[in-house]
Amino acid sequence: MTTNDKFAGTPISRRRLLQGSALMGVAAFLAACGTKGTSATVAPSAAPTTAASAGSGQAAASSAASVAPTATPVPTPAPTDAAGAINWANWTYYIDVDPKDQKKHPTLDAFTKSTGLEVKYQEVIDDNESFFGTIQPQLQGGQDTGWDVITMTDWMAARLIRLGWVQSFNAANMPNFVANLKDNYKGVGWDPDGSHHAPWQSGMTGIGFDPAKTGDITSLAVYFTVDPRWKGKTELLSEMRDTIGLTMLHLGLDPAQPTRDACDKAVAALQQAKADGIIRSLKGNSYAEDLKAGNAVLVMAWSGDMVQVLVDKPGIKFVVADEGGMLWTDNSMIPNGALHKNGAEKLIDYYYIPENAALVEDYVNYICPCKGADVALKKIDPAVATNPLIFPPDSITAKLHIFGALTEDDETYFNQQFAKVIGVG
Amino acid sequence: MGTFLKRHHWVTPLALLTPGILWLLVFYLYPAFQMFLASFWSGSLEKGFEFSLSNWVNYPNAISQFAPFYVRSIVYAAAATTTTFLIAYPLAYTIAFKGGRFKNLLLFLVVAPFFTSFLLRTLSWEIILADNGPILGPLKSIGIVPSEFRILATPMAVIAGITYNFLPFMTLPVYVALEKVDNRLVEAAKDLYAGPWRPGGLIAGVLIGGVLMGVLGMVFNAGPVMFAIVGAAFGGTVGWFLISESFIRITFPLSVSGVFAGGLLTFIPAIGDYVNAELLGDTQTYMIGNVIQNKFLTQNDYPIASALSFTMMAGVLVVVAIYAKVLGTEELSAAAARA
Repeated sequence: MTTNDKFAGTPISRRRLLQGSALMGVAAFLAACGTKGTSATVAPSAAPTTAASAGSGQAAASSAASVAPTATPVPTPAPTDAAGAINWANWTYYIDVDPKDQKKHPTLDAFTKSTGLEVKYQEVIDDNESFFGTIQPQLQGGQDTGWDVITMTDWMAARLIRLGWVQSFNAANMPNFVANLKDNYKGVGWDPDGSHHAPWQSGMTGIGFDPAKTGDITSLAVYFTVDPRWKGKTELLSEMRDTIGLTMLHLGLDPAQPTRDACDKAVAALQQAKADGIIRSLKGNSYAEDLKAGNAVLVMAWSGDMVQVLVDKPGIKFVVADEGGMLWTDNSMIPNGALHKNGAEKLIDYYYIPENAALVEDYVNYICPCKGADVALKKIDPAVATNPLIFPPDSITAKLHIFGALTEDDETYFNQQFAKVIGVG
Repeated sequence: MGTFLKRHHWVTPLALLTPGILWLLVFYLYPAFQMFLASFWSGSLEKGFEFSLSNWVNYPNAISQFAPFYVRSIVYAAAATTTTFLIAYPLAYTIAFKGGRFKNLLLFLVVAPFFTSFLLRTLSWEIILADNGPILGPLKSIGIVPSEFRILATPMAVIAGITYNFLPFMTLPVYVALEKVDNRLVEAAKDLYAGPWRPGGLIAGVLIGGVLMGVLGMVFNAGPVMFAIVGAAFGGTVGWFLISESFIRITFPLSVSGVFAGGLLTFIPAIGDYVNAELLGDTQTYMIGNVIQNKFLTQNDYPIASALSFTMMAGVLVVVAIYAKVLGTEELSAAAARA
């Protein structure tokens, strides 16, 4: 009997038994793990917003001030900040840069000079969901995410507020924000008293096209009409709220009241456009490159990108359709567990001083939520100050719609249906 | 200490293996196990997830809903692996046997693209393959290609992108295997009357040339039959003259271990790839990686995303096991012993 045969028939050795039972023990332990829901632990409490009504002086705002916002399940943070720099996570190209040194930001340096507070500015966000994925585990566990200020788009801000993962502002610390926030940003359904978010930059979603190839366009119907000029060369946005929002406007529905029925109708229209061969693909910012290269001649576009595209390729045009356009905002928020809440509030407030907002606007070219920025900008750069894509006239702003708030179940439903349109559902 | 180690021979190998095993345990087995458990959850992000064995239905639900994506991913990955092999093998052969003093430079050139980021390389393909870009522009103005033709936003672009991104993964293992081939064996074969591999070479050349050009013809909508005939003729000529018996009987079998390794290194990451489909494809070319990304990040549907991931992992393991059986790991070790 060779050594091999001796072990070939061993049924179960003691080592195997120990290994197996250890594995089962680990399994049983882990099976007890799930995740606790977060909305169950919300305790209602009122955040102080009395200072807000003094500054704004608007009836709408003062009545909203008495509505108690949902609170966080985390105890109120300590009033004094920890030592160290304020950590700000933002998108790319969203703040002014020194033309001689791309890593320096003049407004941030000026802030440090005037307040003595250091800021560590990091352009780590290029997608709401992937950034959310990075901070979700800590927030769920009630820990510090490492960020003091994060800049999230409306719907992600709404989700964070729903989950109770962001802190409310101490309005006494933010007089400029209270005084200078433009009125059309106040009173959103997902944060009625505006105590959890401060708009950073806004943008419009409209129609971008190459008039040399498509002719003049003013209506959203073009995305759903088969026309050899743009068939197979049309790109929509992979951002659900923009594409479904504009489709709802085309169908005569109100994006501020997004119901499942409206979703179904919009998705059906989009699937039909795909079946007709009109749509080339659904993309994020990369539509701008396709438009410039001529791969696409008709796109759903964001106003900030188009400012740059219009400079790079002067023939291209951007319009807000007759039926209307979407208005979306990226908002500064302070997550739970932030170690420098006071400094963060001062930083957010600093950019509601019109001169500073103007400096940022000169570079960023999106829409500014701060009153008086266009006046301040006229002295520095009149071309930007009068650009209708950056400071749209009231006739355009009146046509813009903000997508309504969704419950978690509805958001899941919308995302599932829209995934089918994108092609991953 | 010395006698202790001599008497209990199992201690030294175990000690050497422990860091690797620990690393695998912490960074692979535990997360994979967590993911497996997550696939038995039900619930949502805000209401909380609950583990329950009755949620095994997540698996059949997920698989039946997304089966087309699995199939598409396997097809794209297999196509990309094949094209990568067809490009990398001649490339590695040339470097190994004809490289001479330029070997290191050529190898560096193969690896050089990796110094830029994966994303940038794929984005640069968007520029190269643009509808009126440096390739299609001249072709369209000459008239070889219809003006409505495009490469981007088609499956061809996605497969080309995957091929490009994984080319070094195939080239280097094949090069290493070819480098180890003893030239004296090839000379000995030639001494023993190994000449051009006429009939085999003809058939292989006709098949490969014909299929490739036929596919190209289908893509260009320019008469696949014509293209296939031209390709078969060209491939047949190359095969008749250039493929020798010594290559088929000596060199290629000795390099099979490299082909095996290169194939695995290309096929497995290619199945899960999602960048190429997102940047170079359209709504009909998304792969299972994109679906998992959407489910996980956008829809926060962790149970289904985990079920999909785990199924993919299990499927790939099965495929690799079959692949190993077919190519034969005994042959690999025997080939290594001979070399």
